[in-house]
Amino acid sequence: MKGFNLKAIYTIAKKEFMDNIRNRWIILLSVIFVLLIVIFSYLAGGQTGGDKVLGDMQTTVFGLLGISSLLIPLIAIILGFSTISGEAESGALYVVLSYPIRRIEVLLGKLIGLGSVITFAILVGFGLGGIIITASFGTESWGGYLAFIALSIFLGFIYLSLTICISAFCKKRITSIGGGILLFFWGLIYGSVFIGILLGTGHTWQDFQTGNIPDWFFNSVILSPGDMHQTAVQLAFGVREINAMGFSIAIPDFLTMELLMVTHIIWFVVPLILAYIFFNRRDI
Amino acid sequence: MNIKTIMCPKCKTKFTIQGNSGEKVKITCPSCNVKGVFTFPSLTPDQKAVSVSVTIEIQGFTKNYNGVKAANNISFNVKKGEVFGFLGPNGAGKTTTIKALLGLIHKDAGSFKINGFDTVSNSIESRKNVGFLPERVSFYENLTPVQTLKFFCELKGVDKAVVPLLLKEVGLEEAKDRKVGTFSKGMVQLLGVAQVMIGNPSVYVLDEPMSGLDARWVKTIREKIKMLNEKGATIIFSSHILSEVENICHRVAIINRGRLIAEDTVSNLNKYLQIKPRLEITISNLNSKVPDFLNKVKGIASVDAKENSLYITCEPGVKGNIIAALQNSGLAIENIKSIEPSLEDAFVKLIERDA
Repeated sequence: MKGFNLKAIYTIAKKEFMDNIRNRWIILLSVIFVLLIVIFSYLAGGQTGGDKVLGDMQTTVFGLLGISSLLIPLIAIILGFSTISGEAESGALYVVLSYPIRRIEVLLGKLIGLGSVITFAILVGFGLGGIIITASFGTESWGGYLAFIALSIFLGFIYLSLTICISAFCKKRITSIGGGILLFFWGLIYGSVFIGILLGTGHTWQDFQTGNIPDWFFNSVILSPGDMHQTAVQLAFGVREINAMGFSIAIPDFLTMELLMVTHIIWFVVPLILAYIFFNRRDI
Repeated sequence: MNIKTIMCPKCKTKFTIQGNSGEKVKITCPSCNVKGVFTFPSLTPDQKAVSVSVTIEIQGFTKNYNGVKAANNISFNVKKGEVFGFLGPNGAGKTTTIKALLGLIHKDAGSFKINGFDTVSNSIESRKNVGFLPERVSFYENLTPVQTLKFFCELKGVDKAVVPLLLKEVGLEEAKDRKVGTFSKGMVQLLGVAQVMIGNPSVYVLDEPMSGLDARWVKTIREKIKMLNEKGATIIFSSHILSEVENICHRVAIINRGRLIAEDTVSNLNKYLQIKPRLEITISNLNSKVPDFLNKVKGIASVDAKENSLYITCEPGVKGNIIAALQNSGLAIENIKSIEPSLEDAFVKLIERDA
């Protein structure tokens, strides 16, 4: 296989960025990120006590983690669901693919371009939020916060890879929307599904609250990129035990950052390979 | 691709077959089912010299969609510097063939070459010198036409300084800062025409380029196609506007139900199909009756009368005799309209015959 035409990939990526950066959802998402950071930090400030209005970064991040790990997938799905099926349906891909460019280059360009849009939104939203907290609370936990930003960007790329895979597989735009919705709902219901299995296999709610949970339950976290992301962020802040809202759960030792990084990479690479296979076989 | 009319040695039925020079074609008489083989004559040295100048080669293209043959063994060549019309009714397989030529869809069988490069094994090279305008052209809604054309210039490695010129060529310079999403269908089509000219390609593939445009822009595009061809470009285009095709094209190919049913110049098709000129003569005192003396005029294939109009199909050389005979008969001729055989006649006849 000949090397990639990097200029072609850059051109496609730049076009995707320019075409989507003014998307009202992206602007809204950036604003929401800033607001979320400030609101959760304010709420965290109440928890941590002292004379600071805003809370520290760790408490803030843990507070908004549940919401951000749903919002980032949502925006990735909105950006990516029509990138192949929608453009094939509208006819925009006909012209692009008649140029001297390979499909893999188009695919990578789209991934990088759309990924840059998400990265931009995260950097602006969380970056600005981080600066506001720092101004109030100091630079404590900046390392964990930067890791949280990096992991958020990674989560965005994982969902983009998954969504582009769905878009390359589905013949019609409307089917891709359906696929995207299913993907999003998997992130929503994943926790409930496995808690249901836990309770259905002889464990009690009290077992769950006290962290008396079998290993497979912890391992199942790798089946949902959102939950995998949350666990990785906790580890990035050096936190293995959660004691809040009546729960006392400790992340087992075998669930390491290295393992989670490998599963992150698998979640990113495998759908991308499948997307390439589907796209390459597809009649446009 | 050659087309030949042959006669069944058993039942004397005439029917047409198609094949490449030197190719042995298995044939079956459509009337009595007698089977046989016909070998098309090989190319002469002169003809071989012409084949070197072929820009687009399509050989045996076959494509099935869910068991339905959208294209069935389609073969034809487009010569260098030629304007080639690619025609067929809706759903005949024109767009399928064009898309396969550009690698947008995968073929089940056959091969394509553009400028000598195989479109599968040498896909990038084959597309380097091609401009393509699809039937349903669409661009990115949030980009302006300037951004759109700059994007395509970058993809082709062409200097972006040509963008204002291209926009001027298609009359979109005033809309250069508007988002493409706000454009009318005609404006998007014009942007598509600008896009196709990026880098002055040597081969243009235009799928319904005049679709959705008003008469002014149809004229502009017709003139552009002629101008590009005068500069040496090879152009293949499909259109439902047969008068435009006839006006511009050197040769045409007609496909129906996924099969190539004819490939030639318009005049050769009309000769081959024995399509005759027609006369429409308005006579004030005709009263829907065909004058008896017309039956004695040689070269008239058919004659019909409706109210004050006489419709005559005849050999090209006898029109003068017919008009003279009518004038001598004392009938009050008000108007004479001579209709020469057109591509539309050939198209309709071929499609009806293939039904």
